[in-house]
Amino acid sequence: MTWISKSVTGLGLLLLTHACYSAHEHSALHSTSTASLSSMASHTAVASTVASLPIDISIETVVAVFVICLGLVLGTPELRPIQWRVWAGKIEREGEKGFTNSDGNVDKDYVGNPFRMLESRPGFIDIRKQRKEFAEWVREGGGTAGASKS
Amino acid sequence: MAQIPVQTIHRDPQLFYWILIPITVVMILTGILRHYATVLMATTPKKQELPAIREQRSLLRGINLRTNANAISPVSFQARKDYLVNAYEKGDFLKEPDKKGQAAPNPMTDPAAMEGMMGMMKGNMAMMIPQTLIMGWINAFFSGFVMIKLPFPLTIKFKSMLQAGVATRDMDPQWMSSISWYVLCIFGLQSVFNYLLGSDNAASQMAQQMGQMGPGAGAQMFGPGVDPDKQFQAEAENLSVLAQEYTLVGVEERLLETVRV
Amino acid sequence: MSSSLSHPPAHLPPAVALQLSQQAPVTLRSTPSVISSYSFTTLWSAAETPELWTEYENLMLSCLRTGDEQSAGVCLERLTERFGAENERLMALRGLFQEAIAKDDATLKQVLEEYETILTKDPSNMPVSKRRIALLKTLGKTTEAITALNEFVDSSPTDAEAWAELADLYVTQGMYPQAIFALEEVLLITPYAWNIHARLGEVLFMAGSSGDTSTDKYLAEALRRFCRSIELCDDYLRGYYGLKLTTNKLLTSLPQASRQSKSDSGLPIPDIKTVERLNETATAKLSEIVRRSVSGESGWEGYENAEVIAAKALLDSGAAKSIR
Repeated sequence: MTWISKSVTGLGLLLLTHACYSAHEHSALHSTSTASLSSMASHTAVASTVASLPIDISIETVVAVFVICLGLVLGTPELRPIQWRVWAGKIEREGEKGFTNSDGNVDKDYVGNPFRMLESRPGFIDIRKQRKEFAEWVREGGGTAGASKS
Repeated sequence: MAQIPVQTIHRDPQLFYWILIPITVVMILTGILRHYATVLMATTPKKQELPAIREQRSLLRGINLRTNANAISPVSFQARKDYLVNAYEKGDFLKEPDKKGQAAPNPMTDPAAMEGMMGMMKGNMAMMIPQTLIMGWINAFFSGFVMIKLPFPLTIKFKSMLQAGVATRDMDPQWMSSISWYVLCIFGLQSVFNYLLGSDNAASQMAQQMGQMGPGAGAQMFGPGVDPDKQFQAEAENLSVLAQEYTLVGVEERLLETVRV
Repeated sequence: MSSSLSHPPAHLPPAVALQLSQQAPVTLRSTPSVISSYSFTTLWSAAETPELWTEYENLMLSCLRTGDEQSAGVCLERLTERFGAENERLMALRGLFQEAIAKDDATLKQVLEEYETILTKDPSNMPVSKRRIALLKTLGKTTEAITALNEFVDSSPTDAEAWAELADLYVTQGMYPQAIFALEEVLLITPYAWNIHARLGEVLFMAGSSGDTSTDKYLAEALRRFCRSIELCDDYLRGYYGLKLTTNKLLTSLPQASRQSKSDSGLPIPDIKTVERLNETATAKLSEIVRRSVSGESGWEGYENAEVIAAKALLDSGAAKSIR
């Protein structure tokens, strides 16, 4: 999806640039021609020439804006769930994988289950028990991969 | 052409080097100085004693019970309500139980409140003094210079804002005087300070002004001059009239309806 | 790996903790050792972020867990340099460090005494009183820990963590009504915590299966708690597991139980048809979760292996019974 949105946005920007450039060229050419034609042009005449931009340039501008909008909308990431149960279910079901962005990194504001703290309780951790459990885990062979590294 | 002829004023380029840049640099440096002065002057928040913490958190517990009463069963709710209302009315959680019923101390004589006021005063001073000084300095040295021309047209209304100190009636409002540049710097250097000092710096006065406008609700709740006993009584009343609706009523039917296998 | 460093590491699997602590020397070298808030260099160097210090703290915990005391010491040193030794949280962390490296119970008792002296000087030091309670628990003095924790929640009744700890301590002592009370208190603070709802359901279930009085009432309450936890969180494995267990038990006990056992307080026990339907739903959902999780479908990888295996065992036992 991303390359589609990118190319559409790029096309829109190109159109917009072209429209701007055309408008600028038009006004520049017009003012020089009127200036050379008559130096006695009234103020209203100047205003009318400014207002009369060719219709194709206006259309191009409007189309370009819409195309850019379309491209940006196509490129938006998937919407986050706003219902509590859906969001919570996503956390439980998908874990970290559900919250990765396009680069494969976990989102910065991802915290997993925010209420997990209430069960792991960092303020009350029993570090000696954890150490014992870890030592057991190593003894059972869980740490073979790690042991070879260190 | 009926256009107004473009005004051209020939400025000495030295104006640019000796007024515009110095004012900007001085403004940035004072901002940084103010930031560090505030950091140095800041007193660490005074630690609260255990009874004070207990008082606040007990009140919060009542509020929690009131807002989330639906999560627990009516029996448990009733027990908690009876306990808390009774304790609130007797003043069990008060910091000084024997002082119950007395009027709240005058915030001016309360040393704890005084300290908070001093802090605010210091902050204000750190903002006011440099501004007065620099304003005076600019007025004395650089008043009356036209310095730059803004690249966009402006209406005549901006004249008083942009050409302070230059009393010329016919000059285009695009031209800007040195004092106006100073005023612009005060408000425009916000993002520069954010970049230099981090987003929560003390140099940004906007944040300070915002802080003065709406002090946090927490400060209001436990601020000086508020009688905790009154708060407890009010909370007791709130709790005793609360109608509880248990969320677990009919949860199994709700679940069976929503879950699709 | 920074994402796992920014959260407290207590629940991480051992492999991740090991990986973190193996990277500790590298991490310590790559982060600046001293960030002074007053130095002029802060203008150019990256701004100091609170996350950095959280990471130090978590790294220290991981290192202590895996026995890398040297790196943990470095973390502690840097934190002390930044926040000063008088910081409450640092006092607790230092105590934790000493607890971890203590060789025997005598040293641990010394640490406990140290905590007590700190607390007599400043009774409002929350992190240290929490550590003291944890150390009491480590030393096996559970009743003392419960008493201390009760005092703690009396002075700080909005601390959900303390209430949850208290509930667990009561459960270890088999005092289920008290544990239920503490868990309800947690729910009053965080009413949408689905895991606490499930936990309360588990405790109610335990209370219902151990006690002989008002078993059905407890079970019905547990059933509703599990329902609520699923209502708060779609496809919650733990909730469905509990729901299935409870409905199984209720289905065996309900037919014999007299209808008169309805207590006047509390909700009535749901009728047998509802319980059956809930049981079916739970079975179907559990088997779906197990099937998808085992086959590794994308979007179903978040469940923990142990939980999935337990669910599978429960399903298999149920299936075996129905075949017989």
